[in-house]
This record gives sequence, structure tokens and C-alpha cells, in this order.
Amino acid sequence: MPLDSRRICGPESTQSPHIFTVNKDIKSDILLNGERKDGRKLDQIRPLFLRPGLISQAKGSAYIEQNHTKVICAVYGPREVMRKEDFSMKGQLTCEFKFATFSCKKKRQHQQDAEEKDLSVQLLEALEPAVQLDKFPKAQVNVYITVLQNDGIALAASITCASLALADAGIEMYDIVVGSSARIHGDVMLVDPSEEEEYRSQDCKDVNEGKVVIGLMPSINQISALTSKGEIDFETISQAIKTCIQTCQKVYPVLQNALVNSVKTKT
Amino acid sequence: MADVNYSEAEKTFILHGIQDKFPCREDGRGCEDYRHMEIETGVVSNTSGSARLRLANTDILVGVKAELGVPSPEKPDSGCIEFFVDCSANATPEFEGRGGEELATEISTVLSRCYDNSGCLDLKSLCIIPKQQCWILYIDVLLLECGGNLFDAASIGVKAALYNTRIPNVTVNQEDDEMEIELSDDPYDVNRLDISSSPCIVTLSKIGHYHVVDASQKEEACCLARLMMGVTAKGTISALKKEGWGSLNPESIFDMMETGKKIGQVLNTSLLNVLEEEEKSGNKRKTVGFLK
Repeated sequence: MPLDSRRICGPESTQSPHIFTVNKDIKSDILLNGERKDGRKLDQIRPLFLRPGLISQAKGSAYIEQNHTKVICAVYGPREVMRKEDFSMKGQLTCEFKFATFSCKKKRQHQQDAEEKDLSVQLLEALEPAVQLDKFPKAQVNVYITVLQNDGIALAASITCASLALADAGIEMYDIVVGSSARIHGDVMLVDPSEEEEYRSQDCKDVNEGKVVIGLMPSINQISALTSKGEIDFETISQAIKTCIQTCQKVYPVLQNALVNSVKTKT
Repeated sequence: MADVNYSEAEKTFILHGIQDKFPCREDGRGCEDYRHMEIETGVVSNTSGSARLRLANTDILVGVKAELGVPSPEKPDSGCIEFFVDCSANATPEFEGRGGEELATEISTVLSRCYDNSGCLDLKSLCIIPKQQCWILYIDVLLLECGGNLFDAASIGVKAALYNTRIPNVTVNQEDDEMEIELSDDPYDVNRLDISSSPCIVTLSKIGHYHVVDASQKEEACCLARLMMGVTAKGTISALKKEGWGSLNPESIFDMMETGKKIGQVLNTSLLNVLEEEEKSGNKRKTVGFLK
């Protein structure tokens, strides 16, 4: 990890007090009359709030809120590619994913760490199939994502938020990419898991513990992003993907509605 | 990826070969066939375990080094493994300087995600004193030549190197309040790792309407999207990742996963057989690579 020399970072070896909490088995919370801790059913997603076009200086922007998961995204471009080596006849898309330092339980660094870099790549791969890159040759579009508060599924929320911002910026796309995530816990599947319910590799011992994130373009029925974590058997993972697809399709009209409303209020 | 520009005609030729009813890839393989593989373990003497893999033109050297360290506060009772991939400029001049960094981090994140669950490798056995001392395995993958399908090759190499890894036995003596670690000086007094449930990555490349395993460099240039799966010998999936700038139909994803699971199981069992056979033949085995 390269350290930031321009900031005073405080002592290097601080620890979050949360590592001393005892991890409870999430199943015991679920089984309370078939409801999750926050009162949702297993396949119920959290209420969704969307607001495109809130950063006035950006070409396009969007804000998404799913209970305590809050993500903001700005899109700039198409603009000139500055570095000669990066020249390409096709348009380019760049993504930068960042957790705000205070967004997670654990304090994040000011600079992008390995996880954030990995998430940037995953986000880019989710958006690239949707954007018509040939419409802006020799130019680039930059997508900046900042997670303000993380209460689970930061990646899925970012995918939805970023594609909404791209649409708001007027970048031509084949379809909006909708992200969704599911947590697999034995024979239970939790759609749209909260931070507490999310998969952590250290406190899972059995097979069929993990999570799946997908990005779907609903109107052309194409999956643009698919990642999973944890050891899961074939049938369960297929089922999880199918459930995620259904969730995406449910959310899609809400996104369309949000975009239509933002266009109406602009004019 | 080492990009080579192929002409449209050449790409169409490869595409048509795969699309025909009589499947014929540019090198005569079927859609679910791997290329010829050469594997040998214990090639670098200064490591705790090492392996070299040659998959047609792809050449990979993996070294495992075990060192003592402090366990991370999140997992106080287990050791850790750290992957590092080095894309050496020997493989292609494009990797010079920081050119190979992007690919290298991509390979190492996929590998660490594959091993990031307690079923695949028992990290608890690497712990010596909880919260104080544990073994940290540094797994370094060196890319010597690129001939396509680097992810699969790297994962096979890693598994073979872990099979070959020997960790010296340590004993903990408690004197008053202080713990003292004593390392066994007998070179044969070692622990081995159980890799029977470690995953191998199977990459399925979508070319035209069909998918192929073990794509060569040419085929990779024609492919818009691929699916990488970490498959264990039991057939469970330890990681899944879609890669590339194309998108995939849900049905074809399920088809690809089915193929990947099948291929992955066969790959895991045959790899283990080969490794066991090599181990049995001991010093009599004949060396195939340039090393030694």
C-alpha cells in the first residue's frame, strides 16, 4: 500500500473496535417468523430512492439510496484523451470507484486500495457492454462513483447509479444496466442483503455460503456483469442468478420512471 | 492482454470454424479440449514449494514462500495467503515497466477470490499461536510466456505449487509467560497442505454462438466475453467472474457454467493424479522443462 505523503495519516496501526464484536449467526435472525431483522421478507428489496441530475456541473449524475446504502455518481465527457498512448478509434470509458473514508464500519484510506481498484474494474466491465462506445471515437467518458454510506451491496447499487448517471449525461446506451445482489446462506437466499447480512469469508465454514452480484440489461435480456464469492454448488448458484435477474426486472420500471421525471423537470 | 492485431478475415475464419456443425478450432481441437500441458513441481530449491506449467505456449512459474508473521486482526486464528502475479517483460514487450500491472492485478484478484473461503484451503492449520504467530504463504506467479488462457494456467500452477509446498514443523514452548517458537531442523520433518478441495479456474470464451475452453491467443482476440469459474473437485463453484466488453445471455451463462463445472472436475482429478504420480517416481522422473 503506497502511503499518502501529503496527509497526516495518524498512527498506522489503528484498529476498528468492531473487530471485537461477536459475529452472530445471521440465520437465527432470519428464522424469526420468516422475516429478516429489518422486517423484510427473504426476497424483498429495500425501498429505493433515485435522483438523476443533482450535480449541476457534471454532464450527468445520479444519487441512489437503499435504506442506509447511499451512493453518488458523476459522469464527465465525452472529452479529449490527453495521453497519446491511450489513443483508440473507439470511445473509452473509465471508472473510478471510491468508498468515502467514513462510509464503512472500518475506516477507509484516502487513496484507492486494492478492493476499490477491483470494484472499479468490475464496474467498468458492467457498464462497457451497455455504452455505445463507437459513438464517441477518440474520446473518453469518465465515471466517478463515491459511496457515501455502505450498508451492503455497494457494487450493485453503484452499477445502477452509474448507468443512471450515464443516461442522464445523454451518453447513448443499448440499455440501462441494473445491478442486484443476493446472499446465499445454506438453503436460504437473501435478496439485497444489508451490511450485517453480507458475506464475510472468515466466519463461514460450510459449502453454500457466498454472494452473487449481477448486472442486467433488462430490455435486451443480457447480463453484463456477473461475480460471485464463496463456495457454492452449481444448482444454488444458478438459482441465485435467476433470482437476481427477477429482482433487476422488478426494479427496471422504477429507473425508467426516475429518468422520465428528471427529463420532465429539466424542461 | 498481449494484444495482437488480427485481420478481419482471420477472425472470421476462426469464428466459422467454431460455428460449424463439425467443430474444428484453428488447431484441430474440439470445443471442450485443453491443449497439451506439461507440469513439474519442486523446480526452485529456495522456495517452500514451486511448480512450472507449460500449456502450449503459455509458460508459468509459481513459487511459494512460507514466512512467519502476525495474523490479521479480522482472522486471528488462521494464517494467510497472498498472491502476487508478475507479468515479466520476457513474455511480451508490452509488459515492460508498468504495462503488465493491470493484467497482473486482475489475475491475482481472481486467484485470491477463488481461495477466499475456508473450504478451499485450510488456513486454520497455518496458525501457530492465535493472535500472535502464523504462517503467511506468499504465492508468486511469474509469467514467462503468454500463449492465451493465462488464468487457467496460473490457477493450475498455483495448485501444483501448493501441493509441493512443505512447511517446516514448529513447536511452541511455554516458559513462564513467554512463548518460544522452535523450528525443527530436520528437513524431512515438514507439514504438507491439503489441496484436495482447492479450485482450478476454468475460463469459457464465448466466440460467436458457442463457447470454448482454453482459448489460444488468436481465439482470445475474437472473443467478446468470457466467464471465469473457480471449480473444485466436488463440482462446487468458488468464484465466478464475467470478463470482457461484451455481454451474455442468461441461458448461455447457464450452459457455460454447466460445461465449466464438468471440465473443472475432470481437470482437478487429472491434475491430482499427475501430481501424485510425479511424487511417486521421485528422483527417477525425467525433467521436461528448461529448469534443472
